[in-house]
Amino acid sequence: MKNQKKIFVLAESVLAALLLLLVARMFWEMNGESRYKVAIVIQNSDSSQWASFQYGLKMAAQDQNIELSIPSTGGTLTVEEEKDLIEAELANGADAVIVQPAPGEGAEEMLKLLEKKAPIMLAVCGGWPEGGISQLPVTGPDNYGLGKALAEELLRDYGGSMEGKTFGILSEQGSLQGTASRERGVREALEKKGAAARWSVSGFFAEDGSHSLKLLPEVDVVVALDDSSLVAAGEYAASKDLHGALVYGIGHSTEAAYYLDTDMVQCLVVPDGFQMGYQCLTELAGSLGHYFRGIKGQEVPYTVLRRETLFSEENQKLLFTMSQ
Amino acid sequence: MGKNKYLKWGIKLELRGIQSTIMAVFSLISFSVLLILGFTIYTRFSASARQEIISGTQRLAEQSGEYLEDYLMDMRRVSDSIYYNVIKENDFSTQAKDIQQGMNLLYAANRENLRSIAVYNEYGSLMAAEPVVLQKEDPNITKQGWYEKAMGELENMHFSTPHIQNLFDDGASRYYWVISLSRAVELTSHGVPRTGVLLVDMDYSGIERLMRQINESGNGQYFYLCDSDGQLIYHSRQIQIYNGIGSENSRQAAGYKDGVYDEYFAGERRKVVVATVSYTGWKLVGVIPYSAFTYGLFNLRYFFGIFMLLMAMMLVFVNRVVSVRISSPILKLNDSVMSYEAGETPEIYIGGPREIRHLGYSIQTSYEQIDELMKEIVREQNERRKSELDALQSQINPHFLYNTLDSIIWMVEDGRNDGASFMITELARFFRIGLSKGRTVITVKEELQHAKSYMNIQKIRYKNAFSVVFDIDPAIHSCCTAKLVLQPILENAINYGVSGMDGAGEIKVAGRLEEGIVRLAVQDNGIGMVEEEASLILTDSSRKQKHGSGVGLVNVNKRIQILFGKEYGLAVASEPDEGTEVSIRIPAVPYTEENRKVLEEGNLFGKEEFLSPHGSGAGDGSRWGKDGQGL
Repeated sequence: MKNQKKIFVLAESVLAALLLLLVARMFWEMNGESRYKVAIVIQNSDSSQWASFQYGLKMAAQDQNIELSIPSTGGTLTVEEEKDLIEAELANGADAVIVQPAPGEGAEEMLKLLEKKAPIMLAVCGGWPEGGISQLPVTGPDNYGLGKALAEELLRDYGGSMEGKTFGILSEQGSLQGTASRERGVREALEKKGAAARWSVSGFFAEDGSHSLKLLPEVDVVVALDDSSLVAAGEYAASKDLHGALVYGIGHSTEAAYYLDTDMVQCLVVPDGFQMGYQCLTELAGSLGHYFRGIKGQEVPYTVLRRETLFSEENQKLLFTMSQ
Repeated sequence: MGKNKYLKWGIKLELRGIQSTIMAVFSLISFSVLLILGFTIYTRFSASARQEIISGTQRLAEQSGEYLEDYLMDMRRVSDSIYYNVIKENDFSTQAKDIQQGMNLLYAANRENLRSIAVYNEYGSLMAAEPVVLQKEDPNITKQGWYEKAMGELENMHFSTPHIQNLFDDGASRYYWVISLSRAVELTSHGVPRTGVLLVDMDYSGIERLMRQINESGNGQYFYLCDSDGQLIYHSRQIQIYNGIGSENSRQAAGYKDGVYDEYFAGERRKVVVATVSYTGWKLVGVIPYSAFTYGLFNLRYFFGIFMLLMAMMLVFVNRVVSVRISSPILKLNDSVMSYEAGETPEIYIGGPREIRHLGYSIQTSYEQIDELMKEIVREQNERRKSELDALQSQINPHFLYNTLDSIIWMVEDGRNDGASFMITELARFFRIGLSKGRTVITVKEELQHAKSYMNIQKIRYKNAFSVVFDIDPAIHSCCTAKLVLQPILENAINYGVSGMDGAGEIKVAGRLEEGIVRLAVQDNGIGMVEEEASLILTDSSRKQKHGSGVGLVNVNKRIQILFGKEYGLAVASEPDEGTEVSIRIPAVPYTEENRKVLEEGNLFGKEEFLSPHGSGAGDGSRWGKDGQGL
């Protein structure tokens, strides 16, 4: 009799416990699974040069069910500003951050410090400060390869020899390691074929900017190592202020493509921004919630664009991502 | 070991009570019904929900298809209007302004959906365009797909797949994603009809917006748009598919007619709803992965789970109540019957439903009848024993009387009147004691007195040929004994032991209390007998007596056993030429009126209660004997 009662109480208790578990789980799921939030801190985030990167991020966020936060940075951030922005994003609930390192000293220390609070992935298109941030994962193109590919295209146009030809190198931030690698790739390839570098300048060279390309010595070829430099060179070329120099460059904005389309730029090497954004976030998303899984840097591909092939079916898809 | 375990479990199951059996059966049946019911309802409901999702997707595909058709129809109308109202009505050489104005009006009216309108001649030269912007240098019109298609099939209108518009330079450094509607048209220039191509570039964002709107279900299902070759026009993961990160089964879907299909693609089962967009052959494809069905049913599953658990809890409770209600009267009845069987005499439980009540009544009546029958049997047995005792008793008196009267006759004939007188006096005393007011049970003291009277008579009869010694522990005087148990033994001692010993014979009567047992022994120094013969004295009742009436020790033994039980009675020990000892062994029951009555009524000693001389306490003979209470 007593056993009967015990079994009855036990059965009811087990069922009640199951019921409570089920109700709790239902409420938990009704409130919705918490989505991870990833903040994107990049220089001049509103610029069209990030269009494909941001599109890639959005697509990856959609696939991985990640909430994105892309604060508007307006222009170039200093290390301190970038630190404040990252901390603000973390305070707002960001679980991880994708950062384009700010140029300047202390960026490495700052990012290493913040990396202890949340996973950080470096998205590097133009490069990162000289010396590198060896312990942080980096997603970006092979900068040396980009420079070399650009130089090879140039050489092809010159029939493989540039004996007696001169070139100038243009970059926005020469102190960045990535930029240096690109320059090295260009220089090694061209100088081997007899070309001579007459100048290599860094800065903001818009037509209405403080620096002017007009003042630089005349060269046969201007090689722009990043998107803003290429757009600037394109502008100068369109204004016929480059003394007839041909422009070759690396870029990933529609403006850069436009100057190629209008024959102001001879060749454009485009790092795949979409892939960079997509791979960057996908890799980061894979590590969120998996404490023992490390984050690996990713190398993104690049495409060589010529005016003749700009609107090929494949390249139209590239332009589509750049136009988003 | 394992086998034993299962065996034990099996035995346990067999021995399970009625309540647990009812509970188990009820639970099994109710849970089975609940599970079947739940499963059936869930299956039906989920099938219905699944059908609802498919129907909803179908409806949405049809509506969106219609919307797309309307959208494309509008573009066709724009194209028709431009062609029939503007181009055909005007000559490009003389009425370029009118043409431009007409195109402008139509463009302005549809600018939300249009990117540009342009007319090209058979060489690919731009004849007119709206909005008016700079045409790119050498856009290579005749090599563009829309132009080739229009010129290839003059009678048709052609919708292209989305592509970058590569015609005009608006100075914005932007590239527009458009869908081109192209058709061959007849241009008139200088009065000469020529073939040209009318191009209406629709802004892709219009279609993209619509497709995004219908792709906001969030449950995993999605729509995509492809042309009749399976080329993607819109897909929410278009770039991923282009880059090889994702994939889509659009080529197969392009071959489907309108309807619902089952697909297995990229490791996933899914339903595909296909709707064809008129005029273009485009397919609007709704994809419902099977996971989308379960997504919609997720809350339903929880609801069913909670419902089933609540039902299970309620069923356990109800089963418990019902099983207790059903089994409780049976268990109570069982308990009362078990108590009865254990020797207690509780009332048989009568309660619960009519059937159980009836059963209780029946059992109670049966037990009452059994009690009555048992009492009747005991009573009958007692009566039979008493009758037997009386019969045995009645054998004693004539036996002795015959012998004594024989002696008196012999003395009177011999002239020994004093002796005869003494003998008659002793005989009178003997019978007074022997009558004992009709009692069968007397005190040991009375029995000894009786024996002494008898021995006095016999000594006279045998001329003091033997001597008699009584050595009695006074403690046994007040104990119960059967009447006339010593006399036959003494008679035997005289007849078979000392009668012929001419004054050397000696009979000793001893009485002792030994551990609750009264032991009376008659010992003679006569001729004795062999062991085999001694053993037959008490067992062989047919044995022929040498002297006397033929009744003797067997009679005494039986009477003692009838009164006190089989464990009591006589014992014979004898040695040839040494003598014989016959001892009586009876329980030390204090002589009281109540004890006497109990014994005389034939209740076996040790089976019935005996009252102590002080009128309190109860116990069996052995207890009397052991603690000697009342002695």
